[in-house]
Amino acid sequence: MKLVINGDEHEVDAPVGASLAAVLRERLGLTGTKIACNEGHCGACTVMIDGVPVLSCITLAHSVEGEVTTIEGLRDHPLVDAFVRADAVQCGFCTPGQVVSAAALVAARPTPTEEEIRHAMAGNICRCGTYPKIEEAILHWRD
Amino acid sequence: MELLRPSSVDELDGGLFIHGGTEVVPLLRDGIVRAETLVDVRGVVPRGVTGGRIGAGTTLAELEADARVPDALREACRLAASPQLRNMSSLGGNLLQSTRCWYWRLKFPCRLHDGERCHAADGEHREHAIFGNDYCASAHPSDVAAALLALDGRVRTTRREIALAELYRLPDEADRRMTTLEPGELILEVEVQPPAASTYLKAMDRKRWSFPQVGVAAARTGGGTRIALAGVAPVPWLLDGPEDVERATPLPRTAWKVDVARALVRRALAELG
Amino acid sequence: MARLIRTEKEVEGRFEEVWLVVEEDPLEQWPAGPGEVVGRPAVRKDALERVRGEARYTADIRLPGMLHAALLRSPYAHARVRRIDLAPALALPGVRAAIGPGEAPGLDAEAGYAGAPVAAVAAETDAQARAALEAVDVEWEKLDAVLDPEEAVERGILHGEPERYERGDFDRAVAEADVVVESTYRTQVVLHNSMETHQSVCEWIGDRLDIHTSTQYVWGVRAEVARELGIAADRVRVVCEYMGGGFGSKNSAGEYTFAAAELARRTGRPVRCALTRREEHVAAGNRNATLQRLTVAARSDGTITALGGDFINALGWGGWSAATEGPLKMLYACENVRTTRSTAKINTPPMKAFRAPGFVEGTFGLECLIDELAARLDVDPLELRRMNYASSNDGTPFSSKNLAQCYERARKHWDRRHAVRARSDATWKRGVGMASQIWYGGGGPPSYAWTRVGSDGRITVVTAMQDIGTGTRTAMAQIAAEELGVPLDRVEVTLGDTARGPYATLSAGSSTTPSIGPAVRAAAADAKRQILEIAAQRYDLEERILDIRNGTIVSADGNLSVGLAEFLELLGSAQILGKGARGPNPTGMSVLTFGVHVVEAAVDVETGEVRVERVAAVHDVGRIVNPLGAESQVEGGIIQGIGHTLSEQRLMDEETGRVLTTSLDAYRMPTIADVPEIVCEFVDEPDAHLTNLGSKGLGEPPIVPIAAAIANAIRDATGADVHELPVSREEMLRALREAEKKERRGAPAAV
Ligand SMILES: Cc1cc2nc3c(=O)[nH]c(=O)nc-3n(C[C@H](O)[C@H](O)[C@H](O)COP(=O)(O)OP(=O)(O)OC[C@H]3O[C@@H](n4cnc5c(N)ncnc54)[C@H](O)[C@@H]3O)c2cc1C
Ligand code: SF4
Ligand code: FES
Ligand code: FES
Repeated sequence: MKLVINGDEHEVDAPVGASLAAVLRERLGLTGTKIACNEGHCGACTVMIDGVPVLSCITLAHSVEGEVTTIEGLRDHPLVDAFVRADAVQCGFCTPGQVVSAAALVAARPTPTEEEIRHAMAGNICRCGTYPKIEEAILHWRD
Repeated sequence: MELLRPSSVDELDGGLFIHGGTEVVPLLRDGIVRAETLVDVRGVVPRGVTGGRIGAGTTLAELEADARVPDALREACRLAASPQLRNMSSLGGNLLQSTRCWYWRLKFPCRLHDGERCHAADGEHREHAIFGNDYCASAHPSDVAAALLALDGRVRTTRREIALAELYRLPDEADRRMTTLEPGELILEVEVQPPAASTYLKAMDRKRWSFPQVGVAAARTGGGTRIALAGVAPVPWLLDGPEDVERATPLPRTAWKVDVARALVRRALAELG
Repeated sequence: MARLIRTEKEVEGRFEEVWLVVEEDPLEQWPAGPGEVVGRPAVRKDALERVRGEARYTADIRLPGMLHAALLRSPYAHARVRRIDLAPALALPGVRAAIGPGEAPGLDAEAGYAGAPVAAVAAETDAQARAALEAVDVEWEKLDAVLDPEEAVERGILHGEPERYERGDFDRAVAEADVVVESTYRTQVVLHNSMETHQSVCEWIGDRLDIHTSTQYVWGVRAEVARELGIAADRVRVVCEYMGGGFGSKNSAGEYTFAAAELARRTGRPVRCALTRREEHVAAGNRNATLQRLTVAARSDGTITALGGDFINALGWGGWSAATEGPLKMLYACENVRTTRSTAKINTPPMKAFRAPGFVEGTFGLECLIDELAARLDVDPLELRRMNYASSNDGTPFSSKNLAQCYERARKHWDRRHAVRARSDATWKRGVGMASQIWYGGGGPPSYAWTRVGSDGRITVVTAMQDIGTGTRTAMAQIAAEELGVPLDRVEVTLGDTARGPYATLSAGSSTTPSIGPAVRAAAADAKRQILEIAAQRYDLEERILDIRNGTIVSADGNLSVGLAEFLELLGSAQILGKGARGPNPTGMSVLTFGVHVVEAAVDVETGEVRVERVAAVHDVGRIVNPLGAESQVEGGIIQGIGHTLSEQRLMDEETGRVLTTSLDAYRMPTIADVPEIVCEFVDEPDAHLTNLGSKGLGEPPIVPIAAAIANAIRDATGADVHELPVSREEMLRALREAEKKERRGAPAAV
């Protein structure tokens, strides 16, 4: 199986049924992508495929066709600094997934409204409750 | 396990279909469905909207953003699941999603797992059905199916074309399936005639990312107004009219859903004008 | 000098008489208000690596040769393993070891709840380990299970004896009162659901056991493991640098740690044992359900004359019984109080501390009751609270209490209620409710910190605490920077490893900042003293006229101004080492935190939907070290509280005792779309009696009053009394129907 991740091509050997999240974390050492539920309910494992946020824990690695972008590929995105400044991180376990969802949002809508942010980010659960700060970070991501 | 990726209908030969995998992957992992062969149908099932025809491979995210899609369906997609799930979820897969009944998901030996009783009816059923619930009390979780039912959608499969309503059946002792789809039959398209007006209202227990507690779709066409409900019966539920709500047969802890349904039906009709 | 004292130590509202060795703390508190660094918003020290996904959590630890362990759990609510055969599991591919009941602490033959662990398997992959569980052959003996807490109380199946408390003459006060209100409240079981599940990786290196674990208390795990395994504590090293949330559920080692340690010992390989989300929902702890039968009696002028409560804590198989009656005993001046708390021992998963255990539940009951009383008396709820203000804790003075100031500051939010109500229409009714907060949060000794200053003038604070996401790493850096007179970016903090730093207390009970902060300040002061001693010698000046300000050593006479880094160059490879300890708490005083929430809520009276539209929170937790981080804590607590109030509930099958809401589609926590406008204010007065900082903890206070404030806003909006959490549509519609009936009967409705 060949995967293009953050622009690099990887040759991976994994059984059919392996999730993209497991391949990223266990085979490629890309542990920035977190697994918090492993069943599609929380958003911690969010990555982009061709710019579209999906849940890597329920994506079969073998069915991936497009280019995968993980948090490792977004480390220099201005959103990272926006999250830091806004204090949009407490324990941080949900945060890489939040950044991936947010990056897709601002790529589609560079100046999203509060409503749009709430609609686009509702699939990323944060138990620490950083939501108000996430909203702030996204509203001011280019400052 | 193997994964096949056919590129035409002719190549189909058994196996478990998988499109977005949002249902299939967790169910496989839990051992609720089993398969030696997975068939990725993305290369086969049409995707996109042309006139009133919607490819079954269109994602809910695409439908949510498409102005050509009738309001009820668009709103049902917009309020379904989570953003990432809507990006992954196909329309066809949505219509075929399984119940969220916790007993079923946890593999209690209930009727839908070929067992002898409905654990929910005797047990924890506060999120369950108020109609058609005497054999299995589960509540159908598809917003999208309710919208399409109100819109009187038609489903084209690899074998036939049927009204959406005919896709579903209430399970009974003899036959516990909830759809009429045959093994190997693939949904290709859904067709909807543009209504004069349509709407979808959804009661949730949070503002987003929630299955319908009660979903009410209503559509007005030349022929009259159709009202269909999500989250109230084992299958998407068509009402004969607003007063049909009063014929509900709630379980002790689902009576509240009747109140919610009554209010939402009234509001939906008011919105249609 | 070290001093030995006998004192009461409080953790999560639990008190214990202990001997404590404390060091006196001679430092004067800084003046109130922001300093150069402390009291000013600071970006988290560890934010960048967390946001970029570089922080390595326990979940990310991969050691060479590591095996994966999985736990076999009881399918029955109460059962005993009569016979177990691990051999079929051991025969499966990849399986390297298996252990059964009694072979590791926490794996018991008697399973007290559905989900109790009884055996464990280690295999090359997680999937192999889980597959092997199914092959373990167990013969179960089913035992009588009690699942209903009221039944348990009736049958006397309790944890300990009922706790009774009485002051004054409750019965007489009730008999003589003008108004008596009795109400019953129920709170549900809720789950912590930290995003990183409970997990450990254990590795033996010779006779030393290294444990990477997601914990709130590295030292606690060290002590517990050493005790249970019978090895010297210094042979156990516990590491947790980044931690994905705990909320009280990760204060102890847990069977996953013990199973991993034992399987690692047997295989000679590192073993990882991580709970799945499903297991987390069953066996990682919970906030237990409560039943509260409350009574308040008052004179018609609003004076509360009696408060009473019969409480049942539905504890489950294990855990401890939190003081649900605490708020009722302490929040108001009331001479006659009587409470009983019975702790039902039922065959459900064990309780673990969850953000202000007991007080969250108890405040819901009490503060709803107070509003019901206000309605009966036709008194303004804010006035009623002010009228019954407690100026001491039943005779014991407070070390500081600024609740009155909180009320004062809340007034402008409270005054919005007329405008809010006016925005009601036929379906959406709007209203405003308030509730007060009381909780502990003073922390206590012991805790220690070291500081290390290098020749480059940079400072490292070393203390083996943990930052569970509350931002304490940053707060500690701020405190050190303030004391040493350097900018924040000169300070780093090393933490999370029992082998690399002195003892620091647990990160729970809102105790981290108030416990460790003063030790860090003392350690910084120690280093600063040494720097100034050297500077005095180097420049031949009197030490007492020297100071460090903004990274520069200056003399009061204005003659000296030299950069700290420049000066310290002379150290070469030498370092300045400071050490500090947490001093004692004030004796004979109650150290508590206070606050008020004012909530604006809207209720759809036809569908029972409740929306929280605005929350104003005013908290009194002493000095605020980092206003930015503090605001995040408050927001987080409020959002968790909104989940607790409206949508979260662990459901269980009444027949089998199995948890039904095992996944996050069924157990519904708030999303970003559920967040109201949140206004956050602090009194920010240092507690003059508490340590060299005057700071109390803030992790828990914000979750305490929110449920009652929402319920009271609902009453204000609709006249309906909700008595049960969560306020689901079902409960909301029930309460509305009840209110309607009451109105028809002509009883005075609340609005
Ligand atoms: C956590 C969660 C929350 C959700 N919330 C909502 C909600 O609020 N409202 C709502 O309406 N829905 C909701 N859904 C359902 C979601 O929209 C469906 O899971 C999704 O649409 C399924 O599409 P898929 O492509 O992923 O299907 P898959 O998982 O790939 O397949 C689902 C099923 O359909 C079969 N299948 C797929 N495509 C075809 C086809 N073309 N013809 C025949 N059979 C096919 C598969 O064999 C399988 O049995 C939720 C789902 C999840 C997992
Ligand atoms: S409601 Fe249906 S799926 Fe649920 S337990 Fe009953 S029979 Fe099974
Ligand atoms: S880990 Fe993938 S959605 Fe939770
Ligand atoms: S920051 Fe802890 S879960 Fe989001």
